[in-house]
Amino acid sequence: MMDQKRFSRWTAFVLGVLLLQASPVWAQAGTALGQQTLGRPYWHVFAAYAIVWLLVLGWVISIVRRLRRVEERLGDE
Amino acid sequence: MSDKQIQWSVGVLGTLGVATVILLHWMVFFWVPTESSMGIVQRIFYIHVPAWWIAFLGFGLVGLCSAVYLWLGDERLDRAAVAGAEAGMVFTTIGLLTGPLWGRVAWGTWWEWEPRLTLALILWFIYLGYFLVRRSTANPEQGKRFAAVIGIIGVLDIPLIHVSVTWLRSLHPQAVILSAENPMNLESSMGVTIGVGLLAFSLVFASLFLARYAVAGYERELDLRDATLAGT
Repeated sequence: MMDQKRFSRWTAFVLGVLLLQASPVWAQAGTALGQQTLGRPYWHVFAAYAIVWLLVLGWVISIVRRLRRVEERLGDE
Repeated sequence: MSDKQIQWSVGVLGTLGVATVILLHWMVFFWVPTESSMGIVQRIFYIHVPAWWIAFLGFGLVGLCSAVYLWLGDERLDRAAVAGAEAGMVFTTIGLLTGPLWGRVAWGTWWEWEPRLTLALILWFIYLGYFLVRRSTANPEQGKRFAAVIGIIGVLDIPLIHVSVTWLRSLHPQAVILSAENPMNLESSMGVTIGVGLLAFSLVFASLFLARYAVAGYERELDLRDATLAGT
């Protein structure tokens, strides 16, 4: 069976890296590239990228929780 | 696939997926030029299109696995269908939420009841029904069969979504990548970036699909063991 501790560690690593992905958005706010918005609201881009990784994160958490329940059921026996 | 092989595949695909995701973000925010007419908001394109690609891939797998499951009755196909349906729901939700964020700037409206958007929303509801039907029957095996039928019906919506922009009057722009007349009609760096986006999302999908499939297998084994113990 898949080792839950290893899976959780790997998941935590993946999530940490994914959260770091938001950094380019903050880094560019106010820079020359950030000003290339042609008057458009820049937060739309940030919100879109945040939605992607929050929903993927939600799916990862649901898989980890299912795996934990399986291990609890095994531990009860 | 054995447990070890699945664990190894999840790790390798996940690591490659994260690496490609990092590359994608660097390309989107530091490398690819800003599109001239829509400006910075066009950068949503690099996640919006891959999200729909994965949604269609996930639901395509549901349709295929469901059809063969109804034919052969192999439990592994039902587990693959569930994993594909979960992926499809996650990435359809992403597509349905990121589209309006782009559309608000590009079209001046969050939502229009035009053919492609409406058909995409119908797709989301069809697969919501897939999960509701699975859980609403007293007999789980019957629920799986009913859900498989819905999974097959839902797939029929995907080609309609694809052709809706050419066959019907639509606010949504026509296909850029899968255009029959002018495929990959993009500036070269934009083409490379969307290619990396498609690869990144595919790797993340493959990793999580396999993990979900494996967990469904463990749950099934425990359910069978509990049923056997209860019967003795």
